[in-house]
Amino acid sequence: MSEILEQISAVVIEGDLDEIKDLTEDALDDDVSAEEILNKGLMPGMDYVGVEFKAGNMFVPEVLRSARTMQESMDILKPLLAEAGVQMMGKVLLGTVKGDLHDIGKNLVGMMCEGAGFEVNDIGKDIAPEAFVDAVKEYGPDVLGMSALLTTTMRTMESTIKVLEEAGVRDTVKVMIGGAPVTQAFSDQIGADGYASNAAAAAELAKEFVGK
Amino acid sequence: MKVKAKRRKLSLNLNPEPEPSIKEEVLSMRTNYRTNTGVRFEMLSQDQLQELVDGVLHLLEYTGLDVYHDEGREILKDAGAWVDGLRVRLPSYLVRRSLDLAPRSFTIWARDGNPEHDIHIGPGRAHFGPGPTCPNFIDVETLERRPYVKADVPVVAKTVDGLPNIDFCESLGTVNDVHHELGALYEFAGMFPNTSKPIVAWSYDRFDSAGIHEIAVSEAGGQGAFERRPNYVHYCEPLSPLVSTFEAIDKLIFAARHRVPLIFTPCPIAGGTAPVTAAGIITQGAAESWMGLTLAQAIQPGLPFFMGGVYSVMDMSSMILAYGAPELSLMMAGLTELAHFAGLPLWQTGGCTDSKTFDEQAIIEGSLSAYLSALTGGDLTHDVGYTESAMTGSVFQLAAMDESIGYSRRITRGIEVNEDTLAVDAIHNVGPNGHYLREEHTRRHYRTEFWYPKLCDRRNYEEWEMMGKTSFKERTVARVRDILATQQPSPIKPETEAVIQKALSEAEERVKE
Repeated sequence: MSEILEQISAVVIEGDLDEIKDLTEDALDDDVSAEEILNKGLMPGMDYVGVEFKAGNMFVPEVLRSARTMQESMDILKPLLAEAGVQMMGKVLLGTVKGDLHDIGKNLVGMMCEGAGFEVNDIGKDIAPEAFVDAVKEYGPDVLGMSALLTTTMRTMESTIKVLEEAGVRDTVKVMIGGAPVTQAFSDQIGADGYASNAAAAAELAKEFVGK
Repeated sequence: MKVKAKRRKLSLNLNPEPEPSIKEEVLSMRTNYRTNTGVRFEMLSQDQLQELVDGVLHLLEYTGLDVYHDEGREILKDAGAWVDGLRVRLPSYLVRRSLDLAPRSFTIWARDGNPEHDIHIGPGRAHFGPGPTCPNFIDVETLERRPYVKADVPVVAKTVDGLPNIDFCESLGTVNDVHHELGALYEFAGMFPNTSKPIVAWSYDRFDSAGIHEIAVSEAGGQGAFERRPNYVHYCEPLSPLVSTFEAIDKLIFAARHRVPLIFTPCPIAGGTAPVTAAGIITQGAAESWMGLTLAQAIQPGLPFFMGGVYSVMDMSSMILAYGAPELSLMMAGLTELAHFAGLPLWQTGGCTDSKTFDEQAIIEGSLSAYLSALTGGDLTHDVGYTESAMTGSVFQLAAMDESIGYSRRITRGIEVNEDTLAVDAIHNVGPNGHYLREEHTRRHYRTEFWYPKLCDRRNYEEWEMMGKTSFKERTVARVRDILATQQPSPIKPETEAVIQKALSEAEERVKE
């Protein structure tokens, strides 16, 4: 059993999209549980990728390929995990705030969070505060991530948080913010729960928020 | 357990070879399509280069050089030179014939057969390495300047072995703590086991040269094997203006007879030992090199021969030979074009500085000259890591320049244009408002299209702060120390180890007498 889990880890690290589905099915056929595939196959692979990425030995396109490989497996495992009542990493809701169309950073955060095991709902860019409120109500995320690239639009994060408060959902989520002009000081000032300076750090922060 | 056979243990390959980027049949459909590879640099016109060549030939035919070596003059006379006392003049046909005999393209082989360490000399290929004979060295632990000692030789060689953009090895110093006649032999004995990158061997006299050659030949597997795959280059230095010294010629004769690829490199100083003008110093220096060329080709037709060397200005206030002057790069660029026009490879100069310490001046001077050397395609560019106008060798300057050379090489590699790199399909796939991070096209090209710095910092402020707010200098020092702690050069053969010990003890006996 450990052999196939090791193979799953290796396939995640290599980002081999052709192999992962067959391997996942094979593992399930061999009576390996979905939870074990996740915790002893997929996650160790992604942990390795994270370490190599931090060390500068792997780069963003490879990390994303690995994350996508994991997602392929997760598509098969998700219903089984839900059935077995396995606690997932958590849900992350992402959006770029009103007035801002720059979203490459936010997309990166989404992919990194997926790679870390989160279920990610990306509601896009130029998102009005009210739309964030609706999405929070609809999806019930653990973490809400907002991004802005422009100094002119970063202020909208503050108003979005206010609107979340008014709607009574602010306390149901941890709010993390990011984007080139954003700082920890700004995060503290507008009452966000945290700031991450890059996509990998955002995934780490989201993990901290859900206590993993 | 039914794991399919093809699911072998996956070996991780994080640095895959780039896939061929376009199908051959697509390219072969093109007609009259011209491709430029890399950034092109051209200074002198063909007419100007011919004028320089004519100047050199004229100088050799009408003025000649003093050659302080009886046998050398005899060989030249037999070849057709006009000899009058010490003075040797060369008829231009003889020089032209020598230029024809010397190869433009050849290989200097890694001693251990590692193809990544082979040096392929030929058009459009620039290589880099340190220089020889600085009296001082920057201590790797204290970072202080002190006399160069025997123990520094392996330090330099290991650093060279570990730096990806440094292609050949010299010692960066003259060993001070052995008998003064044996420094060069100890240098080679210290370098050879500690890097498998080819070595450029400097020596005092033919005794050194013989000891060095014995070591190299042992590793190659005999003289015949060495001649087929030479694993080092011999360095000789004549005197400006217009003197072929006894030692330079004596060493040249030894190297030519043993078919050791040869560098014959003067160090003329514009305004001091050479004309003040760039064209003048190039003409005189080339004449000094081509006297060596003619003698070498008379002894060993077809011997790989590099003309050289270090051409710069005498600073008219400090009176030093300036290693950081823009004129050095300019003169070396002109000399490189002359060498290539004449069909010879060049022993170039770059990556060096007049600064006394690891500072902005050192990086500006070193980087700009390394960049120019890369642009001109200097076949073997030496003196990388020289500081204080060649008075002090520094592995830190060397490591910093490794970064500059990597940067320069990415630029000189240029832009590839074909149907695949145009990325029309990828652009179509992504469309408006999409992103390229997940594109197969991105994954296929990002490792080769982008250069990845080793020392330059691109992290955001927070991460840089978290990592200790390091400066470029601190990261350079850390990288050198890391290489020295971890680099494991491939070992030499045990019998070569014995040859080294024998050569050293014989040399010690010789100087006792």
